[in-house]
Amino acid sequence: MSVLRPLDKLPSLNTATILLVGTEDALLQQLADSMLKEDCTSELKVHLAKSLPLPSSVNRPRIDLIVFVVNLHSKYSLQNTEESLRHVDASFFLGKVCFLATGAGRESHCSIHRHTVVKLAHTYQSPLLYCDLEDGASRPCCGQPMRHERKKSPP
Amino acid sequence: MNQQDLDPDSTTDVGDVTNTEEELIRECEEMWKDMEECQNKLSLTGTETLTDLNAKLSLLIMQVKCLTAELSQWQKKTPETHGNVFRKLTFSIQIQIIPLTEDVLLTLGKEEFQKLRHDLEMVQSTMESKNEKLKEDLEREQRWLDEQQQIMESLNVLHNELKNKVETFSESRVFNELKTKLLNVKEYKEKLLITLGEFLEDHFPLPDGSVKKKKKNIQESTVQLITLHEMLEILINRLFDVPHDPYVKITDSFWPPYVELLLRNGIALRHPEDPTRIRLEAFHQ
Repeated sequence: MSVLRPLDKLPSLNTATILLVGTEDALLQQLADSMLKEDCTSELKVHLAKSLPLPSSVNRPRIDLIVFVVNLHSKYSLQNTEESLRHVDASFFLGKVCFLATGAGRESHCSIHRHTVVKLAHTYQSPLLYCDLEDGASRPCCGQPMRHERKKSPP
Repeated sequence: MNQQDLDPDSTTDVGDVTNTEEELIRECEEMWKDMEECQNKLSLTGTETLTDLNAKLSLLIMQVKCLTAELSQWQKKTPETHGNVFRKLTFSIQIQIIPLTEDVLLTLGKEEFQKLRHDLEMVQSTMESKNEKLKEDLEREQRWLDEQQQIMESLNVLHNELKNKVETFSESRVFNELKTKLLNVKEYKEKLLITLGEFLEDHFPLPDGSVKKKKKNIQESTVQLITLHEMLEILINRLFDVPHDPYVKITDSFWPPYVELLLRNGIALRHPEDPTRIRLEAFHQ
C-alpha cells in the first residue's frame, strides 16, 4: 500500500521496528548502527528508506516509529521529507513520528533555517530532535532519545 | 500462541505456580483473541493522509478523540480491574496485566528487595574502597608533611648557626688586621734579608789581599768589587723595577767567580743573546 499505516499488522513479539527516512544513506546507516549498539531489554529492528512510499513488495513488520531525518544543509532533504509525509497515515502522528535535524552545528552551511524545521514539527505535533551525526560522540546520545520516543509511543 | 515471561519463581508452592501459570496463559489467550478482533476492525478503517494546511487541526482533533477515549477507558476499568493492573513507575506508563495473586506479589516483592540489597551492597563496597583509598592518601600526606617539617627544622637550625657565625663587618677591624699583616710581613722580610746578608758575609766574602799573588800578570782591578749581597740586591731590584727587561750588565765590579756561582746554581740566567747580561731567575713566578 502506498500509505504507511500504524496498525496494519499485529505487533511482533518483544520487538520494535523503527523506520528511518532520510536522503543521506551514510548518516542513516551510522544512526542505525549506534542505535542498535544500545542495550535494551527488547529487540530493535531498524529499517532505512530514502523516501516514502515504501515499495509494497517487501514483507516488513509493523512500524512502531518513523524518524524523518532532515539535513539542514540540503534543501532537497527537506523537500523529500515533506513529500514523504504525505504518504503517512494521520494516526501515525499521534506519537509515532519524530523529526531529527542534523547539521545544526555548522551554521554557515545551513541552507534551511531551523525555524522551518521547528514549524514543521509543530504542524505535525511531533517532537523534534537535533543531532550532529558527524560527531561520533553525539551519535549514541542521539540513539537514546530515539529509544525513549519509541517507548513513549503507545504500543 | 505467545507466552509472556512467567514472573513467579519456584519459591512458592508448585501447585500455586501451576495455577498461576494456567491463569496467565488463559488471560494471554483471551487478550490475543481480543487483539485479533481489534486488528480486523482496524484494517477496515480507511487511511487518511495529511497536508500541511489541515495537519495541525486534524491532528489536534484526533488527539482530543484519543484522549477522551482513553479517559473513558480508564474510568471504566478502574473500579473492576484495578487488581489486574500492575503499573510500573517509569517515564512511560506500561500496562502489564498480571493476575496479582499473593504468590506473585510475594515473589515480586522478594525480587525488588533482592535488587535493592544488591544495589546497597555495591554502594557499600564502593564506599568502603573509597574510604580505604582516602585513608591511604591521608597517611601518605601525613608522612609527607612530617618529612617537610623535619626538613624545615633542620634548615632552621642551620640558619641559626650560620647567623651566629657571621660576624658583623667592621672596616676598622679589617684595616687593623691588614696593617698587622703588613707589619708582620715586613718584619719577616727584614729578618730574611738580615739572615741572608749574614749568611752571604760568612760564606761568600769578597776576595781581599788573601789572594795569592801568583797571578801577578793579572791586572789588579781598579774598580771596587761589590759583595755578593750587593750583587744580588742589584739583580733583585732590577727584576722588580723593570720586569720586562730584568737584565743587568755585568760590570767589572762583579767578581767573576761569584757570577759563575750564580749562573751555575740557576740563581741567575744569562741573556740568550748577550753574554754580558744576566738576570735573576724569577722564583716568585
